[in-house]
Parts: sequence; C-alpha cells; structure tokens
Amino acid sequence: MDIDLDRMLEKVKASQWALADIDWDAPGAETITDEQWPQLKDFMFDLMWIEHVGARGFAAMARKAEDPVLKEMYTYFHAEEQRHANAEMALMRRWGMLEEDEIPLPNINLRLVIEWLDTQSDKVPLETLGSVIPMLEVALDGALCTFLLEQVDDPVCHQAFERINDDESRHLGVGFHVLELQGHGKAHRLLLNFLGTLLSPRLIVGMATYVPLLNRMRDNIVAMGLPEEKLYKAMGKFERIGGRTADGRRNPWFQLISWHGRQVINRRNRLYHGPVDAMVKLSDYYPRALLRSIPTWAKELTDRPAA
Amino acid sequence: MNRTNARTDTSATVHDVLIVGAGFAGLGTAIRLKESGVDDIVMLDRGEDVGGTWRDNSYPGAACDIPSNLYSFSFAPNPRWSRGYSGSAEILGYIHHLVDHYGLRELIRFKHNVTGATFDETRGLWTVNVAGRRNVYARSVVMAPGPLANPGYPDIDGLDSFEGHTIHSARWDHDYDFTGKRVAVIGTGASGVQIIPELVKQVDYLKVFQRTPAWVLPRPDYDAPGWNQALFRRLPITQAAVRKALYMVHETMALGLIWKTPMTRLLEGISKAFLRHQVKDSWVRRQLTPDFTIGCKRVLMSNDYYPALTRDNCKLLTWPIARIAPKGIRTAEGIEHQVDCIVFATGFAVQKQAAPFPVTGVDGRRLDDEWARGAKAYKSVSVSGYPNLFITFGPNSGPGHNSALVYMEAQIDYIVRGIRTILDYDLKALDVREDAQKRYNERLQKRLARTNWNSGCSSWYLTEDGFNATMYPGFATQYRRQMATFVNEDYRALKVPA
Repeated sequence: MDIDLDRMLEKVKASQWALADIDWDAPGAETITDEQWPQLKDFMFDLMWIEHVGARGFAAMARKAEDPVLKEMYTYFHAEEQRHANAEMALMRRWGMLEEDEIPLPNINLRLVIEWLDTQSDKVPLETLGSVIPMLEVALDGALCTFLLEQVDDPVCHQAFERINDDESRHLGVGFHVLELQGHGKAHRLLLNFLGTLLSPRLIVGMATYVPLLNRMRDNIVAMGLPEEKLYKAMGKFERIGGRTADGRRNPWFQLISWHGRQVINRRNRLYHGPVDAMVKLSDYYPRALLRSIPTWAKELTDRPAA
Repeated sequence: MNRTNARTDTSATVHDVLIVGAGFAGLGTAIRLKESGVDDIVMLDRGEDVGGTWRDNSYPGAACDIPSNLYSFSFAPNPRWSRGYSGSAEILGYIHHLVDHYGLRELIRFKHNVTGATFDETRGLWTVNVAGRRNVYARSVVMAPGPLANPGYPDIDGLDSFEGHTIHSARWDHDYDFTGKRVAVIGTGASGVQIIPELVKQVDYLKVFQRTPAWVLPRPDYDAPGWNQALFRRLPITQAAVRKALYMVHETMALGLIWKTPMTRLLEGISKAFLRHQVKDSWVRRQLTPDFTIGCKRVLMSNDYYPALTRDNCKLLTWPIARIAPKGIRTAEGIEHQVDCIVFATGFAVQKQAAPFPVTGVDGRRLDDEWARGAKAYKSVSVSGYPNLFITFGPNSGPGHNSALVYMEAQIDYIVRGIRTILDYDLKALDVREDAQKRYNERLQKRLARTNWNSGCSSWYLTEDGFNATMYPGFATQYRRQMATFVNEDYRALKVPA
C-alpha cells in the first residue's frame, strides 16, 4: 500500500472532529433492547479499553519513528484513538451504562497490558508495534465495529462510528504502508533483528499479556453473538493486504502476526487454545499486590465533550 | 530598475549613520560610534520608547536566561544587579540608564516605522522610507531591528473565532485580571516556562498546551547581597573577573550543546535527573522528556516550571491542537478545553528568509530575493551588493550557549570599524566582495552540518528546508576573533569622486 505520507498527514489534520460535533442527547437511545443491553455493555467496555491501550501503542510509535512526518502522524493517531475511546464512553453514558461520574475500570488482562505498555512499550522497536497495531485495527474495524453497527439501530451510534471508521481507515492505510516499508532490506538482517527482539524478555512478557487478552475478548465477543467467520474474515484481511507486496511478506513480524491470527481463529487448535485459555483463567488469580498503580494516562478517559 | 525610492531631495540632511532600532544592539552601536568620534547619528524606532524586546516582553516572570553580569555590555558594567538572573524590568532599567548616561535620547526618533531602504550607488547614499513620514538619508545604515521583534502566532484554524480574551507574551495586557479565571497557555518555550509559574499562582485553573518538550536545566539564581553590589562598585575589577568566569563557564557549555560529545549526554542526564526530582508522575515525566539531542533547540533554564505543572490547578496537555473554537481549544482527542483567556507564549516570527523590511541594493537587487532560500551574509554583518549596510544579529550570528550581548559587542565593534573606514577614507561605497561572502558561507555551512542544531529536530533556527541561517557554529571566542579583524581585501571600496 503505497501512500504519500505528507498528503496523508494533511488529510488527517483536515479531518479532525470533536465530541461536541455529535448531539449525544438526540433521540434513538431507546432503540437498545433490554436483551442487548448487558452484552452491549461488556462489548463497549472491551472496545473502549482496546482503543485506549491502542492509543498508548501509538504514543510509543511516535517516540520511535525517525521520520518527522510519521512521528507527527502517530502523535495524531495517539490522540485519535483516545478520541474513539472517549466517544465510546459517551455512547455508554448515553445508554445508561455508567453511573454518574463512573469510569469503567479495566479487567485483569487489560491491567497487565496497561502495565506492560507503560513500562516496556517505549523500548520496543517500531516494527513490532507497527505490525501488531494494524492487526488490532483490522479486527476492530472489520469485525467488531461492523458487527456493532449491524446490531445497534441507534442513529447516534452510527453517526459516531462513521467518524471513527473514517479515522481507522487512515490508520490502516498508514499501518500497512509502514509494514511494507519495514519489510524492505536484506532478509537475513530482518530475520536477525526480528529474532533479537522476539527472544528478549521484554517481548516474551508482552506476548504473555497480549495473547490471553485476545482470547478473553474473543470469548466476550462470541458470547455476544458475533459469528466467528466474521472475525476470521477480518483477520484474513490483515494477511491479504499486508502480504500483497513482496516487501510486506518479507517482514518477519507480518509473518508472525499472520500466523498468530490463524491460531486465534482456529478454535480446533487445542495446542494453542488449551494453554492460552488456561492463562486467561490463571490471570484471574494474578496477585493484585504485584500490580503497579494505574498510570495516569490510563485515567484520561472522559465522555464530556467540554473540559 | 526602480529608482524612484532612491531619488533624494538635494536639500535634505544626509546623516553619517542611520540606525534602525533602539534596542540593545542599536543603542550599543550608537554608544560605540559616539566613543569613536562619530556624532552625526540618527536612530529610528517604531515604538514609543527604547528597549526593543525588553520593552515589549513585560509578561509576568519575564527574565533573562543568561546571568546579568554577562548579559550586559562589558563597556558599561552595572554593579547594582539585584539578582543573578535579572527580570525584564531591571534589564529595561539598565537600558534606560545607558540612554541617559551616554546621552542617546536626542538621537532617537520614536514612532518611526521603517518600511524600506534603497541604496543610490551614484551618490553613495541610503534612502530610508518611514511610514507616513519623510524619507531619511544616510551614508551608512545599521539594521538593528532585533531578531525577536515581531510576535509569532501559531498557525491554528479558528484563531479569530475565540470569544474570550487573548494575550501574546510579547504584548502583555497588564489590565487583565487573571483571578478566578480558567486560562490556557499555548507554548512551552522560553517565555512559556517563565509565564506558567507566575500565572498558576493567580488563576483558577491553567491548561498548558505543549507541542514539543524542551530540555530544562536548573537556573542557579540568587539574590545579590548588598556587600556584593558594594564590592562591584568599589572594585570594578572584581565584577570584570566574575564576568570573565561566567563567560568561560558558558563557553564550556558549547562543548555539550553545539556538538555531540560525552558532555552532551552529561547535560541530558542532569536535565533528566532534574525532571525526575521535580515531577513524580511517570507519564507526565514522559510527556516532558524531549526526544531530540540537547542543544538542537534552545535549552531552557527554570527552577519553578516543573513544580508549577504539578500543581492541582494546572494540567499539561500534549494532544495536537485541532482548532480554536469560540469557547476554547479543541484538541485531537476530541475534547474542547473551555477557557476564559488564551495566552500565546509562541515566541516570535523570526525572519530567516526575508529582510525585516524591503532593502534594495546595487543595480536594484533585493535582499528578500537573495535570502528567499535562507539568509546569507559575510561575518553575519555585511551582505554583498548592499554597500554601507551593516546588520546586527544578521545571518548565523546567534549563540546557543553564551550571552547574545557578547556576540553583539563583537558585531558592534566590527560595524564601528566599517563605518569609520567609510568616513575616514570618504568612501562612496564599501561593499563586501561576493567571493569572500561565498567562501565564508561555504565554510560556515560545512561546520554547521556537524552541529546539534542540524541533528534532526525542527526549530526556529532552521528554515523549512533545514537550512540554518541563524546560529554561529562555534565558541563565542571564535566568533569574537573573526569579528576582531576587518579584512580590507574582502571589501570593494569606491571613493567619492573629487
């Protein structure tokens, strides 16, 4: 996916929107049925937090990017992911899913991911986060958001997600462009760098927090009625677009994430899901005393258009 | 060729020297010219008083980043500095003292906004146009308008739509009462870090909008005790010694700030330790940690900036600003930050690719055209094709580690030598040779390429194309040495026909 980054940055700047652009009190909230409500609450909760931690990923990438245009782009994407989380929180507030002044608290898997992002993400090479994030975006954009809009009739929700999806499509465009750029170079050098990062304790711990989070979310989403094929199709999109060019395919991170995506959606792979599901269960028993206090960036969520 | 501006009224007075600007540089030049025996001087200033940037920058907390004993003229020491780093009012007081002591006021014409200057090569005269007034004529012109003279506003959509109050740091509104107000400060550069600690004491809530964090170092400020002032008064040699010591300390800083050396890492380490000591929240610390080499942008000195940001009524925001709305600032995370007042601490519009006003030289050449791809001069003072014109703080004359006044003094003495040459030899034109200027700039750019300023950050030192037309790549001592010699061979001199 060859894009002109300068023009893309101009487009990103010209496409800014604010929570105040949406009338959160407009009619339509009543279209949420009583049956939908509890599952929708869990779904929105996960979605909002994934956007929020994704934002922190972009913050790390903004630090790592050497190209000033890409650096500024990621700074915007960081803010935009936060905006999505804020908008999703505003929807939750609109649907009566939050008490007065209530801020949704992250579950244990999210806490572990937050902790890893807070302490380690700034030290991880750009190509690692640059490959994981497009996969998450593809899954969010192609499966979760589409599914949400099929289930929910509230016009305000559609209005918000129209804007969110527009942003996400730009994130994906840049994401795949960078994925290909990073596949450029001598194969053995790419592979050595890849192995060096992959085998570092930092990344092993990162994977140990990321992998169970995905399975927990998949379970939540499937429980809500999302057909697994949709998730399969969306994740296949990552492999299809990312692997379109030789450079993209040569990126070892692309290969790893694609392979991992295939394992996540293949429920029959007991060799993968057995241990990972066990990790999900085990994480419930993770000693809370070992957790650091929640970093302040994770408390920045707000559903109020004006502050 | 347009010569209409160059047409002179034969009965009009022709001055020996015309100085544009009555700030530090203009006044210093006038003093040294007078001391060298040049008396026919006229100074034009667009303001209503002297002082330039120190007249304009009266915001709360305004002070100099360089110790006062070094940020003053060596030929006019002031033993009465009340602090290590004086505030703007005291610096302005020193400037007023210079004007009175050297009898400069009678030379200055205030409210004279220069709009253009044209050289008449047949008569060896500069015609200087002044808005709404008659032209002024002089044999030599010294451009001393100051590099930091015009307030710079950020390029943000909706700037005019804001319904609240707006203030620029360089045009402070002393009548506005901040008590109980919600206030936004845009910009965390040299003026921002001085304003924020003062404002946070007055306002109800302060939101600080930062684009790029700067490296901040502690400021070794102190109240000058009475005995110290008395000692400096009675034994001026002690003050000269202190000045010399301060000069050497700042020169040493060049090793870390201008070039990437082990000292660069050391200075970054000191700054990071200072941040860790003053800010406990790891995320806020991350927001405040620069990701460029120290020295690439201006280094800030403040002891109370970080503590101000950690106060309960202050919040640092690093989201990109999307636009300004009638009630506040909308940032890219989708929130409108509503405030009563926006303070723009966004510095100055520094001209790196244009002259401060249209300047026409020999054969109708225009300085703006020649500087369109980045300003160039010879030793920062002379430009080929513009005879008898001298510039203070011209291209590549800025220091990143030492007192601007040290550089200024070197320029002033050089200019005085140039003007004396014109007057002593009764020259029609003294014009730097093009090849000398070219050689000088080739050497300069080669040296600049190896400095921290050109190490990849974006700063006001560089043009959009990354050309450095602002800084001098070396020690102040090197700069002073180059300015100490006036190489006649590098100039083309034309005599007035007998």
